Amino acid sequence: MIFQCKKTENCFSGARTYEYELPVTGGELLSFLEGWELRENHKFRRPVFSAKRGGLEIKGILASHIVKINYTEEGWEKEKEELEAWFRRLEAAERPEDRLE
Amino acid sequence: MSGCEQHSYIYMNNAATSWPKPPEVAEAMAEAVKALPGAANRGGLSDFDVFGEVRKELALLMGVPHPEQIALGCNSTWGLNQAIFGYPLQAGDTVLYTGAEHNAVLRPLYRLEKRGIRTVEVPVNGAGRMEPADWERAVKEYRPRLCIFTHASNVTGAVNDVMSLTSVSKEAGADVLLDVSQTLGCVPVRLSEWGVDMAAFTGHKYLLGPQGTGGLYVRPGLSLSSHMVGGTGVKSDLREMPEKMPLRLEAGTGNEPSYHGLLAALIWNREHPADRKQGEAVFRKLTEGLSGLGCLVILPGGETTPVVSFSIPGVSAGEAADILTGSYDIILRAGLHCAPDIMGDIGMAGGTLRLSLSRFTSEEEVDVVLSAIRDIKESGGI
Repeated sequence: MIFQCKKTENCFSGARTYEYELPVTGGELLSFLEGWELRENHKFRRPVFSAKRGGLEIKGILASHIVKINYTEEGWEKEKEELEAWFRRLEAAERPEDRLE
Repeated sequence: MSGCEQHSYIYMNNAATSWPKPPEVAEAMAEAVKALPGAANRGGLSDFDVFGEVRKELALLMGVPHPEQIALGCNSTWGLNQAIFGYPLQAGDTVLYTGAEHNAVLRPLYRLEKRGIRTVEVPVNGAGRMEPADWERAVKEYRPRLCIFTHASNVTGAVNDVMSLTSVSKEAGADVLLDVSQTLGCVPVRLSEWGVDMAAFTGHKYLLGPQGTGGLYVRPGLSLSSHMVGGTGVKSDLREMPEKMPLRLEAGTGNEPSYHGLLAALIWNREHPADRKQGEAVFRKLTEGLSGLGCLVILPGGETTPVVSFSIPGVSAGEAADILTGSYDIILRAGLHCAPDIMGDIGMAGGTLRLSLSRFTSEEEVDVVLSAIRDIKESGGI
């Protein structure tokens, strides 16, 4: 499965939010993230998660393959390239050796 | 939910576009696409003039005696642009408008500023309503040529006192452009009685019609230049757009299938009047519930549309909306709602969460929404 990416907009012209469909669920994704500030909330009808590193934030439904990523203001293009390169490696192997730090 | 399908989503974004629509709307549109097209203004006894029929229904609803003064286009933005750019303003003239206006008003006005026209914004109160005394003061101070205000805020639902605002505007010699996008089909509109000169409307909100329908009413005797020019199907030998309304403002082929849909919606509305008391009870349950949960709720009081803006302390509007939609299938809107200037006036600079109900919203749906918001508030978001 090739990951899908689409920019999502909000009311602000500087929005850097993208939605991704990944080969893993949000919950599975969390197990690949190291050194991130991870949060899960199981009180909602569909439990949710967020993962933060600096200003970068990944969030979504734990059981869903779709996640939303807010990139930081500074250097967001490089951040996006790196993250997407990692997603490609994630696609290539079910469980990539390298974890995302 | 008389006549409409049930869905698993809880849809509370009717101030953006209404959903569901009466099934007759889709049926009429499908039939129109399959049917022989109309005669493009050429008339004749055998031609069913869907646009003419829509005008008649709209004239009844807007309280105007001249259906032909209603120009039909693709949305309310089309109507507002037509009014603002077509009105005979000159450099040095002043346009007065409220802080509650939508970008469909604001952006055309910013363009007018570049042509030497002065635009003056009058702030609304903390509930999003234009105070008649503030408006009167501004009218007297700035002596505008054109006054623009919305019938109701799309952010807070506060309905303006059109009669008072129009009256002081006209006493000062200004013409009035009213935006009824948020009210037509929901709140009584009486354009002639109020003395309104122009009114922009849309078909896809409380009229329950399809997107891509809307337009502009222009009072007899007020001549606008056409913002868009082109073919009219008739009088093709003229180099200018025809003088007569509505043709004067209607260049190009109309959206016939969608107008068949709107006509079906208008007839459905007429035959199925909304139970206002029931709607008010459902809306009151929502606003009281939100306040009871400790949300910061904008409560305008007085006459309102079924729209409420609020925030959940400690949770950003964007995050709350993501959870409500992703975890609970509740469709709502978060942010500035295309009305950025009102946010400062109501003390919500970062935007709001907005729930907007329709005649089909049930108390059970309100219960589910309040329960979800309680979960979010207690959790403090994710």
